[in-house]
Amino acid sequence: MGKDVKARFRDSGGLGVILIALGFIIFGTATSIHRTTDFIIFSIFVLGFDLLYGHMGRLSFGHMLFFGSGAYAAGLLVRYATPNPFLAILAGICGGALVGGILGPVAVRATGACFALINLAFNQVGYFLALVAFAKSTGGEDGLSLTFSSTPLLDITRPKVFFGFALFCLCLIYYLLKRLTSSPYGILLRTIRENETRAQFIGYNTYRYKWFTFVISSSISAFAGALATLNYGYVNPSFVDPTRNVEVIFAALIGGAGSLYGAVIGGFSYMVISNYLARYIPRWEMFLGFALLILVFKFREGIWGNVISVWKRRTQTGE
Amino acid sequence: MISTLIYGLTIGGILYIISIGLSLTFGSMRIVNFAHGMIYTTGAYILIAALPFLRHNFFAGIVVAILVVIPISFIIEKFIVRRLYGESIDYAIIATYAVLLIGVDLVKWIWGTSPIPLSDPVGKSVTFLSVQVPVYRLIIIAVSLAICAGLWVFFKKTIIGKIVIAGLQDREAVRSLGISVDRYFSIVFVLGSCLAALGGVLYSPITTVHPYMGFHILLISFAVVIVGGLGSLKGTTISAFALGMVMAITGRFWGPAAEAMVFAVMAIMLIFKPIEV
Repeated sequence: MGKDVKARFRDSGGLGVILIALGFIIFGTATSIHRTTDFIIFSIFVLGFDLLYGHMGRLSFGHMLFFGSGAYAAGLLVRYATPNPFLAILAGICGGALVGGILGPVAVRATGACFALINLAFNQVGYFLALVAFAKSTGGEDGLSLTFSSTPLLDITRPKVFFGFALFCLCLIYYLLKRLTSSPYGILLRTIRENETRAQFIGYNTYRYKWFTFVISSSISAFAGALATLNYGYVNPSFVDPTRNVEVIFAALIGGAGSLYGAVIGGFSYMVISNYLARYIPRWEMFLGFALLILVFKFREGIWGNVISVWKRRTQTGE
Repeated sequence: MISTLIYGLTIGGILYIISIGLSLTFGSMRIVNFAHGMIYTTGAYILIAALPFLRHNFFAGIVVAILVVIPISFIIEKFIVRRLYGESIDYAIIATYAVLLIGVDLVKWIWGTSPIPLSDPVGKSVTFLSVQVPVYRLIIIAVSLAICAGLWVFFKKTIIGKIVIAGLQDREAVRSLGISVDRYFSIVFVLGSCLAALGGVLYSPITTVHPYMGFHILLISFAVVIVGGLGSLKGTTISAFALGMVMAITGRFWGPAAEAMVFAVMAIMLIFKPIEV
């Protein structure tokens, strides 16, 4: 009975939520709260990206577009309509879902390289729109600096409260994705990754599922973008910069693609490297390049994948 | 009107020279070669480095740039791309992108980040239907047409070209004839890289030389390859010149939108003719 409850707790994602929350709280109190909030937001972004890459097997090379559309939707709402931060987050999610919903039908029909490139091309267009075409409302290269109003119930303009709020969001996203990926729908996603023709043969309209997943992934990324806007208090074209896509890919790979823990660990590890190690690395892009080559050729399973395989070997020899 | 046409043909020619190498690796191995952009950038920078030693002889600079690029592309092919044949496409994208990152950073390390302007090497212009047309642009158009004809001969008349074309259509069948396709594809890879360097060198006097020049042109070249159809050399040729015209016409009305317009055309093409790979 006790074991049953424990297993059910673990399978429902409760254990993961507690571990993630504990880890980030300990790290946040040990270092700076503001920076750890940044880490949490990036982990949400990696979770959104990995739903598409790790679970459905579609590498998007333009996910900054969705991150940026969330950030800009939130920023524009705050600048021109209302300074309420919760409405800004809502606008961000809706913006990302809208962009994903419109671009999805074009993108998801392609696989592999074409999918990656189409997303990258869209990202380039989005960058152009934010930087040049709508420069009057987006502020062009300077971006928008924003002030949010404090809300009575939960004042997320205070750093500590916002840290807690972001952590709650991460746990919520983790929990929802955990439920989603362990449902029959999640199994279907993995089927599409492994063999899409077979999934179609069984009778699933894979196109609709792929579109749906695309929209969810873009909404989560946009959510992260809106949170990042709140955290920084500004939005500028670096939020949609297509050359920054490599960051989230790197994070998903180093953590281990295709698992939720892997995504969170990857997001965290990338941020640790870029925040603490970058000071000692004079040639940052070159470092990223060589690290990516090592990841691709020698370390494909990522941190979490290696932990799992070591653990499995342990338990198997133990039995 | 005439100047827009000339400009479109110039860009189309450059795009053709760059895209053909991409189209070959993309069509044969389904490998998206981001390193192509790095080769393109390298070619332009080698030219800049070599010019003072060659008494500013631009055409000797082109030869030097291509000669330097050959070993670089050979190393990339041998140590990165060849190990990815038959692997998941995603890893190939990431690995070649990593090569691009390393290359861009090396260029930044050696030459700095500030853009380097390059003057028109010919400097003369002819008056054609009362429009001033720089001779250099006409040379670019002529070179691209010559390469087009040269590649046509290469793929139709030489045995290497025939093997490559056959390999593009059915790789297994060619292998079953006892031909090691991979070796021929690596020759083609190096050839494509030389063309990328040539494109970079030819284009650099028209734009400026900066470390990220390869990234932008690469995206447009990918659009060319996707619009033209994967692995179709004829399609790549047509779409390169068509998209060059699109860029020129858009650029005439609103300069910054030229790149975005190419991707818009690509998206429209994809709606009507989706790629089901």
